[in-house]
Amino acid sequence: MGDKTDVWQGTLALMVLRTLESMGPQHGYGLARRIEQTSGDLLQLNYGTLYPALLKLEQEGYIKSSWGTSENNRKAKFYDLTKAGHRQLKRAAAEWEQTTAILARFLTPAEEA
Amino acid sequence: MRTLRALAVRFRGILGSRRRDADFASEMESHIALHTDAGIRNGLDPAEARRQALIRLGGVEQTRQAWRERRTLPWLESLGRDATYALRALRKHRGATAMAILSIGLGIGANGTIFSMVNRFVLRPAPMGQPTTLLALHTSQAGDECCNSFPYPLYADLRDQAKSFSGVAAYHDLIPASIAGNGEPERVYGQAVTSNFFAITELPMVLGRGFIAGQENAQEVVLGARLWHRRFNADPAIAGKSITLSGHAYTVVGVVTPAFHSVDQILDAQFWVPLGTMGELTANPPDTAGRDNHWLQVVARLKTGVTRDQAAAELGLLAEQFAESYPKTDKGLRFVFEQAGALPPRDRGTFLMFLTALSIVVLLVLSIAGANVTNLLSAQAASRQRDMAVRLALGATRARLRRQMLVESLFLGLGGGLLGVVLSLWSTHALSLLHLPAPVPIDLTLRVDWRVLLYSFALSVASGVLLGLVPAWAASNPRLANALKGEDPLAGRGRRFSLRNVLVVAQVAMSVVLLSLTGLFLRSLQSATDIDVGFRTHNLLLLAVDPRIHGYSPERTVDFLTQLQQRVAGLPGVQSAVATDAPPLNGGNRSDGFAVTGNPGNKKSNDSTDLLMATPGYFETVGTPRIAGADFGAETANGPAVAVVNQAFVNSLFAGENPIGQQVTGGGVTYRIIGVAGNVKSRTLGENTRPVLYRSLKQSVGGDPSFLGYTLIVRTFGDPTAIAESVRREVHALDPAMAIYNEETMEEHVRTAFFLPRLAATLFGTFGAMGLVLAAVGLYGVMSFSVSRRVREIGIRMALGAKPGSVERLVLRQGLVLTLIAIALGWPAAWMLAKMASSFLYGIQPHDALTFSLVPPFLALVALAACYFPARRAASVEPMQALRTE
Repeated sequence: MGDKTDVWQGTLALMVLRTLESMGPQHGYGLARRIEQTSGDLLQLNYGTLYPALLKLEQEGYIKSSWGTSENNRKAKFYDLTKAGHRQLKRAAAEWEQTTAILARFLTPAEEA
Repeated sequence: MRTLRALAVRFRGILGSRRRDADFASEMESHIALHTDAGIRNGLDPAEARRQALIRLGGVEQTRQAWRERRTLPWLESLGRDATYALRALRKHRGATAMAILSIGLGIGANGTIFSMVNRFVLRPAPMGQPTTLLALHTSQAGDECCNSFPYPLYADLRDQAKSFSGVAAYHDLIPASIAGNGEPERVYGQAVTSNFFAITELPMVLGRGFIAGQENAQEVVLGARLWHRRFNADPAIAGKSITLSGHAYTVVGVVTPAFHSVDQILDAQFWVPLGTMGELTANPPDTAGRDNHWLQVVARLKTGVTRDQAAAELGLLAEQFAESYPKTDKGLRFVFEQAGALPPRDRGTFLMFLTALSIVVLLVLSIAGANVTNLLSAQAASRQRDMAVRLALGATRARLRRQMLVESLFLGLGGGLLGVVLSLWSTHALSLLHLPAPVPIDLTLRVDWRVLLYSFALSVASGVLLGLVPAWAASNPRLANALKGEDPLAGRGRRFSLRNVLVVAQVAMSVVLLSLTGLFLRSLQSATDIDVGFRTHNLLLLAVDPRIHGYSPERTVDFLTQLQQRVAGLPGVQSAVATDAPPLNGGNRSDGFAVTGNPGNKKSNDSTDLLMATPGYFETVGTPRIAGADFGAETANGPAVAVVNQAFVNSLFAGENPIGQQVTGGGVTYRIIGVAGNVKSRTLGENTRPVLYRSLKQSVGGDPSFLGYTLIVRTFGDPTAIAESVRREVHALDPAMAIYNEETMEEHVRTAFFLPRLAATLFGTFGAMGLVLAAVGLYGVMSFSVSRRVREIGIRMALGAKPGSVERLVLRQGLVLTLIAIALGWPAAWMLAKMASSFLYGIQPHDALTFSLVPPFLALVALAACYFPARRAASVEPMQALRTE
């Protein structure tokens, strides 16, 4: 896969929630593009994997969907955060920060030890 | 929580999938369009832009598949498909399915019924607090058979001294009483209990409370739920109201749980009173001071932390102490106990053996049914080999095919289970309705509760899985090449006497035996109705009263009965009326050994003579002939005792002598014989005629009151039920509070006495029918299997010119050969077994010609019918079709 990084399980959901929070309602294609842009094009999504992830979030009640019209006048399905989605985003982000912080302690060269 | 919600959404996703699929298709459409737009904006030509978009998506079909798997529950969906497929397959073979379900249903129904007996008598704990710590205690004398009840002083000593128990209670197990209230007075049975009884048994109350410990003489009563419903319309405010028991006022304090009838779970008591009030309810109250008068049942609650072994050890020590202190009565005393509500120790062994034997028999029945169904399924599996092989070749996994077959047989198992539960509901109901010819009320109600349901369910799942294993394995394991060509993929062996054939011969042979016995018992029931009972059963009305429990003295009792006879005899439609303590065919009432006294030349005695009370005109009324001497009527209540005896009595003591005027002594009373009457069946229908001594009612009521009360026997000119109402009116005209019970016509009474022949006929009728059905299904299964394996052979025969008729005969002949072998084996076995059954037969020879000549042709006919369908199928084989698969 070269220097492009794959998205691993679980983080995609967090990225979707975060993107929806900052951008507001988005359709699937827009979400995928935005996630790639935010990652500085380091991530390359297989767009096909996005839709089951969206469906899972919807089933869990974190996002909701409705049909609308895109900026260039195409019919598209738009996703938006629910209240539960906002809460879940806060929780998941905190957890993720904690995890990375712990990992960072392991990975930084031992200075004080 | 969220996962659950998602699961629910996915579960729902199984439904309405088409609309959702369309929705997702348009979302894909829009995704690709948006992506293509972006590509065009970046300068790609439209075709290339669209190609890029599809590549980045990773394939429309793959995405849709991933999305769909997320949307619903794939394993559930495929299970659902298996289920639909299985149902379709079962519907297609309707006949075989019905037979399989019928077989398994019969098997499971029989098991469910027997298990509900096991449940009732062994598994179900008594509904009393923590059942494991409540013990039922008995005394036992060294050298005597277990078990006896307690004398009051011994109970008191135990209650005061035993440290293992938090409390010890006692009860007297049966007292009759008449209950007034709204409506006519009625006779019911109850128990007298110590005041701590309810506290110790921790019986749940529907309402109110039990007795307060220490108040032994409180005029209080606890009602059984059934009595409360029937007699007091389930009055929720009954607590605190006063009711009349045998003429005495009692305050209702509570209603006990409907599940409770008696600690032993056998007797059927309907009310409970404190032990101290028992004296006024019974004519001859037991002696509470005597240490050798055993009349109390005892239950004790273990203290927490005390084990049964510790309690047993302490009871052993106490028994030794008592034996030392009271050598006269307590020498060799032992205590034994079991969990309260368990089977009493005396009958435990036999009863458990009986239940075990029954359980084994019904499990055998189920396995025979299972073997039958396996045959049926194998026949089907053989014909479905091609189907399976094609699916395998197309890429279905063998595990998938196996699952498919298992789901199918599981359905059969569950269907059979359902039928089985219905059957056991019906049979337990029928068994509960059987009226036992016992003088005391006995609760033998069988119920299908959750344990029985669980057991039936487990059995049906287990049989479903087991049944499916063989065919599932075989079906999923065909030799592909063979199967695709349509050859028998399981074939190889062409043995003539396969296990299948042996099995079916055994089944048919067994059903010959069963049917023969069924025939015998049916004939026995028929001829039992012709037994000479020694009296005329038509136009007799029976009706019992018990003036004694209404506080009548012996003199008043005799007066009451005499007046009642006179009043009833005067009614229009009544020929005569007499009184007795128990009508004939009473199942056993009073009896004593008798010896000739006052005759130096005759020292004969007999062990057991039945005693019946009679009033003047008794013999003419019931229709027993008086053969010699006089009738009652001249004797006085306190004069020398007189008796009329039957011929069997004369034969046992006075062979060749004139009995009139002789003296006989039994039960401490000496009677002068004044007359001789014909023989009657005094206890049961099947008995060898017993010696009977009729004594004068007015001479006996005082010294030996009847526990069962007194029965008025009325001979009518027409239908006895028509005058029942006016007889009741005469009773209440004499005493409005008098309870009337056991009202029936003599014909009904005699019918109850048919209990044994009827039970035998019912049981064997059921088993016989079941055996017949199973054997027929078995034969059908084997023949179907054989036909399905021989399709090619039959095709060749027909191609070579065999007529359908001759093919049919070929198959029928094969089935009939099996049947004839089975009859040849079964008939002699039935002939031998019939001899053993002879003691249960009434009035027919064990080798009844009618039965033994009818059973074989009947069975052959059934066998012919069972083979007819496979034979027809064989005859309808299309030779071209059968051969084309070469």
